[in-house]
Amino acid sequence: MNMKSWIIIIDERRAGGMLDAAKKLGGQVTAAVVGSRALADSIAKLGFDQVLCFETAEGIPAEAYALQVAEAAKAAAPRLVLASDSSVGRMLLGSVAAKLNATMIGAVRLLAVDGESIVASRSTADGKLLEDIEVPGALAAIFDGEDVEASSTKPVPVELMPVEDPGTTMRMVETIEAEEAAGLLTAARVVGVGVGLASKDDLKLIDDLAAAMHAEKACTLPVCDDMRWFPSNRVVGSSHSQIAPELYIAVGISGQPQHMSGIRDAKVVVAVNNDPEARIFKNCDYGILGDLYKVVPELISAFKNNG
Amino acid sequence: MKIIAVFKWSRNPQDGRVGMNGTLDWRGVKMAPNDDDPAVMEVANAIVEDGEIIGLTIGDGDIAWAAARGAARTMVVTDAQTETDSSVTAAVIAAAIKRVEGVDAVIIGDSVWDYGVVSALMGQLGWPAVAGVVSAAKEQGRLRVTRKMGTASQVLEVEGPVVLAAAANREEKNAPGMKEVLFARKKPVERLTMADLGLAPAGDVSSKGTRFPDTPPARMIDGKDPVAACKELMAALRSDGVL
Ligand SMILES: Cc1cc2nc3c(=O)[nH]c(=O)nc-3n(C[C@H](O)[C@H](O)[C@H](O)COP(=O)(O)OP(=O)(O)OC[C@H]3O[C@@H](n4cnc5c(N)ncnc54)[C@H](O)[C@@H]3O)c2cc1C
Ligand SMILES: Nc1ncnc2c1ncn2[C@@H]1O[C@H](COP(=O)(O)O)[C@@H](O)[C@H]1O
Repeated sequence: MNMKSWIIIIDERRAGGMLDAAKKLGGQVTAAVVGSRALADSIAKLGFDQVLCFETAEGIPAEAYALQVAEAAKAAAPRLVLASDSSVGRMLLGSVAAKLNATMIGAVRLLAVDGESIVASRSTADGKLLEDIEVPGALAAIFDGEDVEASSTKPVPVELMPVEDPGTTMRMVETIEAEEAAGLLTAARVVGVGVGLASKDDLKLIDDLAAAMHAEKACTLPVCDDMRWFPSNRVVGSSHSQIAPELYIAVGISGQPQHMSGIRDAKVVVAVNNDPEARIFKNCDYGILGDLYKVVPELISAFKNNG
Repeated sequence: MKIIAVFKWSRNPQDGRVGMNGTLDWRGVKMAPNDDDPAVMEVANAIVEDGEIIGLTIGDGDIAWAAARGAARTMVVTDAQTETDSSVTAAVIAAAIKRVEGVDAVIIGDSVWDYGVVSALMGQLGWPAVAGVVSAAKEQGRLRVTRKMGTASQVLEVEGPVVLAAAANREEKNAPGMKEVLFARKKPVERLTMADLGLAPAGDVSSKGTRFPDTPPARMIDGKDPVAACKELMAALRSDGVL
């Protein structure tokens, strides 16, 4: 059976995870890099069977190459095409899916083969369930599964694809870098604070915990928008920053999906909440059921002694 | 500009009740508009100038939702199912869009729960498309779109017709009042069926049902004795290798 896969790559996010998921289906795995040559070179070290590079021109967004990438995909006729959920990647994926006449499924966490079909398991009900979907034909999937560290002992040569000048229908005018909240995006440990904190004075407790843990501070949207205790570059979630610390301690956070999608890639999530029904307890590794005003002071001493 | 604003009423996946055996029960769950759809109307209103916004939806939600936020009229596909295969759902939306002549922009919510429909629609229309859009403006007749890229934002100039997927970053601020809603209900509505669009209910893709993921549930620690709770947590974190 043709189990050839294409993985559309616009940055390194989830590249190892997508490679791993596609490899498990057994066929040849091609990386279609749409971006810089340097990106293609580093992708070539991950263990793909083939690396194609659609080199983009300065000032032209990757999306402008969508049709060319889709034509090349059509010629290669892969059974499976994956992209991460970045806005650029999924737009390119849509273009390829249309050319291949493929089924499109989002939020896919696992892939398997069953007879002649691909079974895609996508997350549903706010991550509480997986839905298994049997796809008999070509599948384009937005991959949301675990990222996996990948590397290979023998890098493959990058094949430069012929690209035509996409013209001026899309061009970049400027990139505005947000003022970064020092270190939050790359921090190994983060304390997240939610509306469970009763007053601004109590932030002292969070400061002390962050200091004891050597952690950065983050917050939920209402803590910034309604309380104005933090600037918006400290907000974590679907519409703000995505972070991937080793350890995230959520204090007084209910765990709404818009917040949780910002910490999806955190390794270990601890929640402190006094509501046994809090949604976050369905979505964390360790849940301390209790009053944050009693638990956090003890956490501070525990980290001071051990952390 | 002539703009089609796609909006959606559906059951939010996080509201479905999860049964003991990993089933999902939708009974009694209310339909809600998509979180991002207010941003769709904001972007549409920002660039429409003296043109027209046409609302487009599938199913039986509040048909006047877009009309109450500036759409002049609304198209609704009455008998389409939301399909497991997002390409099929997108094909319904694309077919309805193609009935309208001279469209300059299609704006759709950038999907909070599942990006499939947006991606598939962008591909099927084949127009220049930008996702993650937070705002747009017309400057000297040209369309300027600002989108989020990680923590940075990027300003793009795009020549139409275009597809934009707009992303909200908070709840809707100025929801329309009763007066606008009542007025909106008088605006024209065009009801379309799958047959009108030349589409047959399709799909060789089938769901085999839902199940619990293999990931273990959270380990709950009773915080009544905070000292003991923290001790237990620290031991667990140490064995996980994160301390
Ligand atoms: C379009 C859109 C985009 C959004 N984007 C984001 C985003 O990017 N990031 C984000 O965070 N949110 C976002 N939101 C908001 C999101 O939906 C939630 O409203 C928000 O995350 C809730 O914040 P919270 O958990 O702090 O507050 P709440 O939901 O109010 O939770 C507070 C929690 O504290 C607990 N608590 C109270 N007292 C105590 C105590 N003494 N001890 C222990 N626990 C206590 C309560 O049990 C409760 O669970 C967005 C919303 C929309 C509509
Ligand atoms: N069944 C549908 N009817 C109308 N619009 C839809 C439908 N499914 C998805 N969409 C559009 O796709 C966007 C993303 O939806 P969702 O993926 O559910 O967040 C919504 O903002 C809608 O505009």
